[in-house]
Amino acid sequence: MALSGMRGLSVFISDVRNCQNKEQERLRVDKELGNVRTRFKNEKGLSPYEKKKYVWKMLYIYMLGYDVDFGHMEAVSLISAPKYPEKQVGYIVTACLLNENHDFLRLAINTVRNDIIGRNETFQCLALTLVGNIGGREFAESLAADVQKLLISSSCRPLVRKKAALCLLRLYRKNPDVVNVDGWADRMAQLLDERDLGVLTSSMSLLVALVSNNHEAYWSCLPKCVKTLERLARNQDIPQEYTYYGIPSPWLQVKTMRALQYFPTVEDPNTRRSLFEVLQRILMGTDVVKNVNKNNASHAVLFEALALVMHLDAEKEMMSQCVALLGKFIAVREPNIRYLGLENMTRMLMVTDVQDIIKRHQAQIITSLKDPDISIRRRALDLLYGMCDVSNAKDIVEELLQYLSSADFAMREELSLKAAILAEKFAPDLSWYVDVILQLIDKAGDFVSDDIWFRVVQFVTNNEDLQSYAAAKAREYLNKPAIHETMVKVSAYILGEYGHLLARRPGYSPKELFTIIHEKHPTVSTSTIPILLSSYAKILMHTQPPEPELQNQIWTIFNKYESCIDVEIQQRAAEYFALSRKGASLMDILAEMPKFPERQSALIRKAEDAEVDTAEQSAIKLRAQQQMSTALVVTDQRPPNGMPAQPSIGPLSLVKVPSETVDSNPGDQGLTHPNGVVYKEDPQPPSQDIIGDLLGTLSIEGPPGAVAQSPQSATYEAEGAPSAADAAALVPVGEESGSVQPIGNINERFYALCLKDSGVLYEDPNIQIGIKAEWRAHQGRLVLFLGNKNTASLGSVQALILPPTHLKMELSLVPETIPPRAQVQCPLEVMNLRPSRDVAVLDFSYKFGPTMVNVKLRLPAVLNKFLQPITVSPEEFFPQWRSLSGPPLKLQEVVRGVRPLPLPEMANLFNTYRLTVCPGLDPNPNNLVASTTFYSETTRAMLCLVRIETDPADRTQLRMTVASGDPTLTFELKEFIKEQLVSIPTAPQRPQGPAAPPPPVAPASQDPGALLAGLL
Amino acid sequence: MPVAASAIYFLNLRGDVLINRLYRDDVGGNMVDAFRMHIMQTKELGTCPVRQIGGCSFFYMRISNVYIVIVVSSNANVACAFKFVVEAVALFKSYFGGAFDEDAIRNNFVLIYELLDEIMDFGYPQNLSPEILKLYITQEGVRSPFSSKQPLDKPVPNATLQVTGAVGWRREGLAYKKNEVFLDIVESVNLLMSSKGSVLRCDVTGKILMKCFLSGMPDLKLGLNDKIGLEKESQLKNRPTKSGKTIELDDVTFHQCVNLTRFNSEKTVSFVPPDGEFELMKYRITEGVNLPFRVLPTIKELGRTRMEVNVKVKSVFGAKMFALGVVIKIPVPKQTAKTSFQVTSGRAKYNASIDCLVWKIRKFPGQTEPTLSAEIELISTIAEKKSWTRPPIQMEFQVPMFTASGLRVRFLKVWEKSGYNTVEWVRYITKAGSYEVRC
Repeated sequence: MALSGMRGLSVFISDVRNCQNKEQERLRVDKELGNVRTRFKNEKGLSPYEKKKYVWKMLYIYMLGYDVDFGHMEAVSLISAPKYPEKQVGYIVTACLLNENHDFLRLAINTVRNDIIGRNETFQCLALTLVGNIGGREFAESLAADVQKLLISSSCRPLVRKKAALCLLRLYRKNPDVVNVDGWADRMAQLLDERDLGVLTSSMSLLVALVSNNHEAYWSCLPKCVKTLERLARNQDIPQEYTYYGIPSPWLQVKTMRALQYFPTVEDPNTRRSLFEVLQRILMGTDVVKNVNKNNASHAVLFEALALVMHLDAEKEMMSQCVALLGKFIAVREPNIRYLGLENMTRMLMVTDVQDIIKRHQAQIITSLKDPDISIRRRALDLLYGMCDVSNAKDIVEELLQYLSSADFAMREELSLKAAILAEKFAPDLSWYVDVILQLIDKAGDFVSDDIWFRVVQFVTNNEDLQSYAAAKAREYLNKPAIHETMVKVSAYILGEYGHLLARRPGYSPKELFTIIHEKHPTVSTSTIPILLSSYAKILMHTQPPEPELQNQIWTIFNKYESCIDVEIQQRAAEYFALSRKGASLMDILAEMPKFPERQSALIRKAEDAEVDTAEQSAIKLRAQQQMSTALVVTDQRPPNGMPAQPSIGPLSLVKVPSETVDSNPGDQGLTHPNGVVYKEDPQPPSQDIIGDLLGTLSIEGPPGAVAQSPQSATYEAEGAPSAADAAALVPVGEESGSVQPIGNINERFYALCLKDSGVLYEDPNIQIGIKAEWRAHQGRLVLFLGNKNTASLGSVQALILPPTHLKMELSLVPETIPPRAQVQCPLEVMNLRPSRDVAVLDFSYKFGPTMVNVKLRLPAVLNKFLQPITVSPEEFFPQWRSLSGPPLKLQEVVRGVRPLPLPEMANLFNTYRLTVCPGLDPNPNNLVASTTFYSETTRAMLCLVRIETDPADRTQLRMTVASGDPTLTFELKEFIKEQLVSIPTAPQRPQGPAAPPPPVAPASQDPGALLAGLL
Repeated sequence: MPVAASAIYFLNLRGDVLINRLYRDDVGGNMVDAFRMHIMQTKELGTCPVRQIGGCSFFYMRISNVYIVIVVSSNANVACAFKFVVEAVALFKSYFGGAFDEDAIRNNFVLIYELLDEIMDFGYPQNLSPEILKLYITQEGVRSPFSSKQPLDKPVPNATLQVTGAVGWRREGLAYKKNEVFLDIVESVNLLMSSKGSVLRCDVTGKILMKCFLSGMPDLKLGLNDKIGLEKESQLKNRPTKSGKTIELDDVTFHQCVNLTRFNSEKTVSFVPPDGEFELMKYRITEGVNLPFRVLPTIKELGRTRMEVNVKVKSVFGAKMFALGVVIKIPVPKQTAKTSFQVTSGRAKYNASIDCLVWKIRKFPGQTEPTLSAEIELISTIAEKKSWTRPPIQMEFQVPMFTASGLRVRFLKVWEKSGYNTVEWVRYITKAGSYEVRC
């Protein structure tokens, strides 16, 4: 630019540069703007020279960052000036100051068009640059055709055609619908034959844009691209000025390979062969050299070639060659190259099964974790995460844990999340998972999100053999002097739930557990206190008979928090306090948490979302997803509308509303969970789980291999072993089309309902059957709640009761259809005629769409429901006991194979079955005496007395004496108690005993499957 | 006593540190970078004098072309910190002889370091009185004119005794050939007037400045025509209040030399003055203000590109008086391209860098009414026509021998043991504070 001629401009620029500070500069600029405004307003008009000068000043001011909102007219008018210097200013300033939405541009379109179709090359170039830079719709509409013509005209110089190609590219990117490219395939193919590399490079850019939109039309260009690549990489047939550090036009090479990646495959074998040959040459010929620029250029080509190789799905040999090359890269000292190596390895992982080859570099990758450069560390972490599988999970996770203590804070959260996910995904055994997570919390508590510890709790709850192990571990961690708050939460929760399992070990008595948990109490925040309170309540509940000292301590704490400002804490304290004074009902409500329903891990879900984003090209994405689905052990079991999650209560809430709420409010969709935990349910399935993460279950039920072979034909009713049932629940949805799987274990639900009066009997994706019962003497009233979970109605609903002989049952009418999202109530009257342990069965069927679903459900109208607890004094007891002498009124049996239980727990068990334990009647502390009243129509109220003599040396056997005024009753009651004592798998609070098969010693008729068969 | 500063920085407008002093260790040495990054280089400069960045509070103030920044990390007394800055600047000015700017700082590094050491200790402000400090910091600076009059033949008295004595602000044994007292009443008028001519906000802040060249330990008593003083006097003398205007002063603050117990009991201002120049009292008046000027603007927008501005300014003080240095700034839109003026007195021109028509009148007699009429042409812009916000017209002036409040000195009595005669000089001046009229 002819600045030398414009003194005013150079003076102004030097003034601005000499300004001491921003304020001075602003004053100077404002002054100049005032001057320019005055000049432009001058009636006499400006000479072209002056106009040019002031427009340059405007541009300079604009570039300094000041608003220039006038003078555009002058700038646009300069475009039509005849001389080059003025035209140049006009074009440059217009391109800078205006954008495509300005109306002023309309004025310019015609001039620009004239320049484009004119003969003057420099004017053509200026005009093409402007059109490319602004590229609005109006320009595209009126000028695209001219630009296209220019591109293919043979009379133009390469310089102009180059610009025309780029200009067309910009117009096409901005408005693909306006630029007409129909039938351009041949022209593009022609352009690719161009000898001039400048034009070729620009055309290749254009091709990339065209192909990315629609590759079908441009098949004919594919061989040309390969040819170009051959020309560059193999023949090196290019002019000297297009080589960069000896590499033949790296830009063109990269662009060509990018274009090739938009074609799904290369079909023609010859082309394919020659392409692979070129790629092979690139892969082999690239090495790390001293010169940075040369490295950059050759690596750009190389990595594009790698991407192309991945895209083309080359044979294994080539892949392993790539990995070997990358392996070499990650060992290099240069951080940029190492970064690229790691990144591409991660990408490679998603595409092909080269994992085994990559695993060879594991040690090197782990060293990269300790690199001083954080971006390299991140890439290494990503790669480790990606390459982890069952075989190397243990090593990698341990490495990550070790690294955690030295990692940067910025990375720790991601690191801990990834470690947790890997541990969960690939855990070789269950206790290892618990170990890892506890270590994780211990080492990086601040960075462990709630999801992680929720997950561990879910995991422990759902795996019984793990519970005592976890409790012992938790106890160990609590011994440490300073532990993280999250650790306090987990430990307190686990010890509260399962501490009693270890009660006989030294140091694990309720009192000691309480003391060690309470030690941490002063250090925790309000979010942890509710969990501590729950633990205390649970410990208190497990201490039967209550130790007055412990009880007082705990009550003092509850009392203290009853006036706490935090509502959650206050409510818990008040409720626990009230409950703990209730004795037996405490057992019921504070019983152990039920298993969490099967749900895909929130962590894995989170990770999946993140991973899909990283895949960049369509092919890679597709394959990545495929791989994901096979890698996942579990798929989401929920149907689209989803199982209603339990919102609003907050994590790990144990007790919320006593079941009376449901009674008083039958319209409410109150859903009582097994074991007395009642959650309020949203009638609409809530969007996504709030506490769902906690309720979601573990994907790991053992090593993934075991799950894969689980029998899919397993039918539920004949199935006693829940492990198999759980496995069946894990079968991917896709493979069992047509059948509807129940949610949760039906057996468990039945056993739970034997102990309490309301809850869910059955649930599947379409329907939920809840039950609520009231018992009075020998009569009972059950209400079945049939809730349709779908947005479509359920048809052909049928419910049939198959009552055993001793029960008289009347079911009111069940409607044929259940409207969408509605709940139907069906009352059922029950009358007990005589004592028996047989069970009534509900045969329920409905039709959803084309599928007919039929289930047979046992109804919880069992013997103990007709018992009424009664406390007898010694004066009443002994005469009765003596009057009932000898069989058949009094039966005695030695029972072996009883699951060992401490006496207090056995007493709890009896209490839950409505057999009141009367302490102090038997002088021997190892014996238990219980009494109850049985109601039936034939026997009326009948007093039953039970005496259990245990052997402190061998807890697996005991002698049981049952007495009552009716021989059948005596026999049935004895069998019933025996069944319960033998079947109890873990704690008395878990009589549903999902882990144990139905009682082996029970008579064959007791097996639910057999029973059902008999009934049918 | 609250902490006022952990560190003090003096920066120029570019943000370079001219000089700094750390008083406490609780702020890092690079604090000023944070100031530069988060305040100076953003648009927030000048919006709020107190900012908190990363746990530290920054108090800043601009004096001519210097930013004075105080950094504290603890909970400091902000008012104390700002008062300290103001006082320190006054002190520097008295050492450098009036000017306080970047050059003055560059020329007096050593002196400033010495003073900074003296006036603050571990973040607590110390004695900032120039008269006292000059006793023992005798560094070469550009001395102020009055201190050069100080007799230098006297031995340097004991500074400790001086500072801790009953009259800490005055030395014993001063002697002048001619005993003189200069009294200036300086008032600045703040006004915001609506375009219709109704007063929206108006107040006067005034101060009484004294310059004493008196021998010995004189006791002075000042009488003003303020309401409290006059009422008290009439009570004491048991005669009715004289008719005439009395002034109600608000928010009166006195120099430390004024005997407050006597003020409380007798409502008279009596004091033993420090030697040299000092500010005796400050006050504020919100009612009964005599405005020196009335401004009557009419601004018409004629279409998109033309405007007509007519401004009439009326001086309402006595015809014998006159105002000096009157400047009237009439804002115009940013896209002003051409202006043409007609003025009955003074000169007017368009200043593009402040987007104002600036009308200057050197000497403005009372009871006159000059006018300005201007035609303005605007340039058309591509941006949507933003309605012009019409900022207020601003005015600057000085009116000698006029007080907007009407305050007058009734008497100034001087008693001294030796009973010499004194000459008293009294001056009044009214200046514009922010004198704004909406248009």
